[in-house]
Amino acid sequence: MNKEEIISSGLLELYVLGIASAEEQAIVEQALVQYPEAADELSQIELSLEDYAIANSEAPPASLKSKIMAGLVDSSTNETTALTASSPADLPETEVAVPETKVYRIPTYFKLAAAAMLILLLGSIILNYSYYNRYQETNRDLAAAERKVSTMDSANLAMNSELDLITDKNATPVVLNGTPHSPDALAKIFWLRTTGDVYVDPSNLPAVPAGKQYQLWAIVDGKPVDAGMISTQQGTYRIQKMKSFGKAEAFAITLEKEGGSETPTMEEMFVMSKI
Amino acid sequence: MAEQRKYSEEELIYHLQKRDTAAFSYLYDNYSSALFGIINKMLTDQQLAEDVLQEAFLKIWNNFTSYDSSKGRLFTWMLNIARNLTIDTIRSKGYKKQTKIQSSENAVDNVSQNPDAAESFDALGVRKHLTLLKNDQKQILDLAYFGGFTQDEISKELKIPLGTVKTRMRTAIMHLRKVLRDAS
Repeated sequence: MNKEEIISSGLLELYVLGIASAEEQAIVEQALVQYPEAADELSQIELSLEDYAIANSEAPPASLKSKIMAGLVDSSTNETTALTASSPADLPETEVAVPETKVYRIPTYFKLAAAAMLILLLGSIILNYSYYNRYQETNRDLAAAERKVSTMDSANLAMNSELDLITDKNATPVVLNGTPHSPDALAKIFWLRTTGDVYVDPSNLPAVPAGKQYQLWAIVDGKPVDAGMISTQQGTYRIQKMKSFGKAEAFAITLEKEGGSETPTMEEMFVMSKI
Repeated sequence: MAEQRKYSEEELIYHLQKRDTAAFSYLYDNYSSALFGIINKMLTDQQLAEDVLQEAFLKIWNNFTSYDSSKGRLFTWMLNIARNLTIDTIRSKGYKKQTKIQSSENAVDNVSQNPDAAESFDALGVRKHLTLLKNDQKQILDLAYFGGFTQDEISKELKIPLGTVKTRMRTAIMHLRKVLRDAS
């Protein structure tokens, strides 16, 4: 395109209006370098559109200027933004702040939001604390209840096995009556004929002095044979399994030293039976 | 204004390149009304227009090194920054392209009701003359200048071929120049 064509094409106008395509922009910029007349024409177009803009002026709110000037200082912290020596000294715009006095403003709604979040956080902590305490308490109660249940379970189990034994049709009950040494004492033997198992119910024997223990004896062929030591469970006697005997003429219980003796101490015989 | 230093365009550019806030203050005082007039014409929301004006001046300050005087005048460069930011805003907001421009044949008359506008310019005289612009010339100019329409969009809006957009735009601006010459 020669200079006349460029000038009359309308491209300069589109270029100034900012709506020339990239290709058209390149053509214009090339022409501006090449033809001073094109550059002059461009300036004339620019001036007329600038005047058109001025004719359509509207004053922005007065407060906007200080806002914008303050923004300059913020966005160029590393620059020397103070008035330079070449600047007019009597400019009214002395509100240019030095960087040290910069104030970062936090918008009110941020503050409100932060306060609200803080309150929520505190509330949450208090609730958490109270729920945690309640949780701990519940846990303690639950553990106690479980312990109680398990104690009762085992007691129940023991009672059940005692009941099973007493009601077993093969169990031969043998009553051991008090000897003249202790007329009030009483014990029972449950002897299972099928297996020879011997159970003793010592619950009606007198309390044992410290360091002593009851020992059960079976009289087999006229001789006393050790049938085991009777133990207590937490101070109380329960029905318990002793040694097994296929045959025995009688049973007796003597008080012996803890751990038992080889032969029964006849003076300390509390109960005795005859089959 | 009387005690404020006058800058030539070359001086202004020199001081702005040195990041002189006094020169920037001068720039604001002399051109903010024109920029705001354009932005406010393109947007319907006054608050939004103020935001865009602020954004435009910050961009002028921060990107001043990208201004190239061989490609155009400073004021035109500033006007285009303001117009482009406004166009970006319009497009980002999903803004419906306003019927404001097409429907208001008397946009200039509306502005003339604001007595504070453009103190440093015989705006009233110019405005009177601008009414001499033919409606279709004013329309194509305003679609591009205040409407942010592209060549394509103008072609569709006015139902004229793309090539005609260029020649008609040239005619409209030639007319504008003549009107302005007569006014001064």
